[in-house]
Amino acid sequence: MATVSAVASSPLHSAHKPDPLRQLGIMSLNGMFDEMDGVAVLKQAKEILPDDLAIVSSFGADSAVLLHMVAQVDVALPVYFLETGKHFAETLTYVETLKQHLGLTNIITLVPDPKDLARFDPNGDLWENDPDSCCHIRKTEPLDAAMEGYGGWVTGRKRYQTKERGVLPHFELTSDDRIKVNPLAYFSDVEVNAYKLKHGLPEHPLFAKGYKSIGCAPCTTIVAEGEDPRAGRWRGLNKKECGIHFDFNGAIAKPMAAEDLTLFKDGAFIADPFRVWTEGDDPASVRYTHIPVTVFLANRDAVLANPHPVGLLVSPGDRVEDVEKDLGRFASVAINFPGFTDGRGYSSARMIVERYGYKGEVRAVGDVLADQIPLMRRCGIEAFVVKHEPTRKALEAGALATVDVFYQPVGKTEVPLGTRPFLRRAV
Amino acid sequence: MYKYDEYDQQMVDARVAEFSDQVRRRLAGEITEDQFKPLRLMNGLYLQLHAYMLRVAVPYGTMSSKQLRMLGHIARTYDRNYGHFTTRQNIQFNWPKLRDIPKILELLASVEMHAIQTSGNCIRNITTDQFAGAAADEILDPRPVAEILRQWSSLHPEFLYLPRKFKIAMSGATHDRAAIRFHDIGLQATTNAEGEIGWEVWVGGGLGRTPIIGKLINPHVPHEHLLAYLESILRVYNRYGRRDNKYKARIKILVHEEGIDNIRAQVEEEFSHVKGGVLTLPQDELDRIGAYFAAPAFERLNSSAIDVAREKIINPSYGRWLDNNLNAHQRPGYVSVTVSLKPIGGAPGDATSEQMEAIADLAERYSFDELRVSHEQNLVLPHVKIADLPAIYEKLVEIGFAEGNAGLITDMIACPGLDFCALANARSIPIAQELSRKFAAPERQKQIGDLKIKISGCINACGHHHVGHIGILGVEKKGTELYQITVGGDATEQASIGDILGHGFVAEDVPDAIERLVDTYIARRESEAEPFIAAFRRLGKEPFKEALYGNG
Repeated sequence: MATVSAVASSPLHSAHKPDPLRQLGIMSLNGMFDEMDGVAVLKQAKEILPDDLAIVSSFGADSAVLLHMVAQVDVALPVYFLETGKHFAETLTYVETLKQHLGLTNIITLVPDPKDLARFDPNGDLWENDPDSCCHIRKTEPLDAAMEGYGGWVTGRKRYQTKERGVLPHFELTSDDRIKVNPLAYFSDVEVNAYKLKHGLPEHPLFAKGYKSIGCAPCTTIVAEGEDPRAGRWRGLNKKECGIHFDFNGAIAKPMAAEDLTLFKDGAFIADPFRVWTEGDDPASVRYTHIPVTVFLANRDAVLANPHPVGLLVSPGDRVEDVEKDLGRFASVAINFPGFTDGRGYSSARMIVERYGYKGEVRAVGDVLADQIPLMRRCGIEAFVVKHEPTRKALEAGALATVDVFYQPVGKTEVPLGTRPFLRRAV
Repeated sequence: MYKYDEYDQQMVDARVAEFSDQVRRRLAGEITEDQFKPLRLMNGLYLQLHAYMLRVAVPYGTMSSKQLRMLGHIARTYDRNYGHFTTRQNIQFNWPKLRDIPKILELLASVEMHAIQTSGNCIRNITTDQFAGAAADEILDPRPVAEILRQWSSLHPEFLYLPRKFKIAMSGATHDRAAIRFHDIGLQATTNAEGEIGWEVWVGGGLGRTPIIGKLINPHVPHEHLLAYLESILRVYNRYGRRDNKYKARIKILVHEEGIDNIRAQVEEEFSHVKGGVLTLPQDELDRIGAYFAAPAFERLNSSAIDVAREKIINPSYGRWLDNNLNAHQRPGYVSVTVSLKPIGGAPGDATSEQMEAIADLAERYSFDELRVSHEQNLVLPHVKIADLPAIYEKLVEIGFAEGNAGLITDMIACPGLDFCALANARSIPIAQELSRKFAAPERQKQIGDLKIKISGCINACGHHHVGHIGILGVEKKGTELYQITVGGDATEQASIGDILGHGFVAEDVPDAIERLVDTYIARRESEAEPFIAAFRRLGKEPFKEALYGNG
């Protein structure tokens, strides 16, 4: 669905050229510009993508930092602002304030397709009934159309913002061979504020009132002391991202739905950055994918040279001994339970975690059910991809049926305590 | 006897709550029967031909009078007033209602009992010599180690979804009364050249449709490394045991297909990682658990012989009981008494609530409150003063369990068979009852001597027919129940598997066929001192085959 208004306001470039990017290797890029130096990251991005790089800014609470860096690199870089029609008045004022203060010369406003608004949100209350769709027509669609013309774009996302963003690198290759640049990926909350202070950047008028992450007015609330900065967005809804950023794993951007949050980790269901290995995938170039042990062993050199974050899929019958020395390469290990009665995964998990000391994420995939999860946890598995609805409910409610006293020392945490007789420990 | 501490109690209580929730979710349709099945099995709950069956664990066959009374109470309140003692030293209730199971488990927990892992593809109840802690031929009392193994194997998260069930048996005596060579793992107490006591580890034995005698995998594992060694075996089995075919999934098949040397090497490799780690058993802990099994306060008695000959004249039945149902005790003046649950014409291993309560009373009064279940489906009063034997016998006569037939031809093992079991092809209990009646005459039983008949109603061999001196296997052919007869099996340290002699017999012809085998033995034995199994080994199967099928 093309958006006339977006196209009208976009300086459409010729088709982007992804190949040099790919050849350069995202991994080496990330290696060269590790941590902190946001301006250098931005400069590098402009060098790789001359006239092919755009910035997207929400003009929110923290946007000044990224835009300040942009201004240092090139005040003429195109900066896109999504005028959803639902912004706080203070935000619109702030766009002007920053433009003046930083001397930015190329701020482009994107508006939703009026036909979409007429069709899907005639009363302007879509945000109330279906926030995913609201985001989709007001943000995702206009931005997708505008970004068609660019080989890369710059975002202000930061790792600390939410759990889902915890794996964010400086440079990402998206599924359609574009590059995403995140100069602030490693910035902490404290560093952002220090930067603003150091450079005397104007504050968003709402920041002082307790808004830490600012989006559209209806879906933004004040964040309490100690809360996740983005907790004020879509409060009360099982929604963490608007959709424009949801392809940091390389998947096609689309509105987030609750059922997409399949990964249970650290007490909550979250978006899973990983996708399932499919026949025909290229082990040398897949990203955020669990590569089966057999595929890995047959393509070991290619996988080790693959610049992207990848995981390892351990299925029953796989000898974990064969991958012991390469485990450190993987960001995540998925233990496959093709049927819940197949207990081989318990042994694999214990060996990987206890014997080989693997420190990354260990997750269970496959037939993951409520009554086996406590056993998996004891064997060192801490994340679960859950499809079974009652299991999902039980996890959300924290109501797993389990025996939480046990006799055997199993896993990393169950070494016998001196205060208990041998072999025993209560959770 | 082992006593639960707060921790054990907490665990069993939590397990009851967990299973109650699982039952609730099953009834609410939140989990399917396929998902529920392994959960209920791991709590001892089967679905049989007519109803659910609940199998309750009697860890290493040891229980107190209070526990047996509770079993009697459960049988009366929730079942049809009886229970069935099994070849793995457990008890089964054949008619409980699903809705009553949580309550039954609660009652069991109140007397330190449970049904955990009495079924399912996990480590089952650990069995041992029914005379443990009492037998004169004992190297060590295996029960403290059995209790430690019970704890190690209970809800072990790595080993609850094994390829198939896993059974461990232990013997602390020189004579194997626990059939350890027919278990997935058999442990035999042994003393090495340095005089240290440890365990011979046998692996890959089993009955079922592929009977195999266990192989020696390690001649001496000291106590301190036993858990690490067993965990190593279990891990190798969990990872590499076959899961493609239920009938080839036991560890015996893995050992058979890969060879014992190969399996030993894999276990040793695993052991090299596990040994010396958190599973190392401290002597303190062994001592702490051992203290629970300290010998009761035996009186200092003179060894008194009973004048059995005189008793026989006065009361031949009592004389026979003295002859057959006593086992030599470590302490002078004491014996272990086998309470035969094989009255003539009865269902082997069954006891009513009243019988259980009466035996519990006897244990409380005459046997330091202790009871045992034997794998031959009898009960045992392990520590009885010789002077108390007449009073005990009198009570047993009253409740119908005074048969002096322990170890004789009418002391048969039989599985529940087609009368109860969903797996069975043929009935077993009626065959046992017919044979029992046929050989009821005491003189005849005495003449035959030590002869073990074991009957299974299907190839799964719960009745241990492969290791019966005479084994009977029920099969189904073209809609008819037929019984195959095997000869020459032995479950002891001289382990052997019986030979099939030929085609099967219809039920009505089985008693006569067995009688022809018995007659052949009596005709061909060297003397009365040569038992059936010895004669068979000397003669070979030909004479017995001829007895069954003629020489055509």
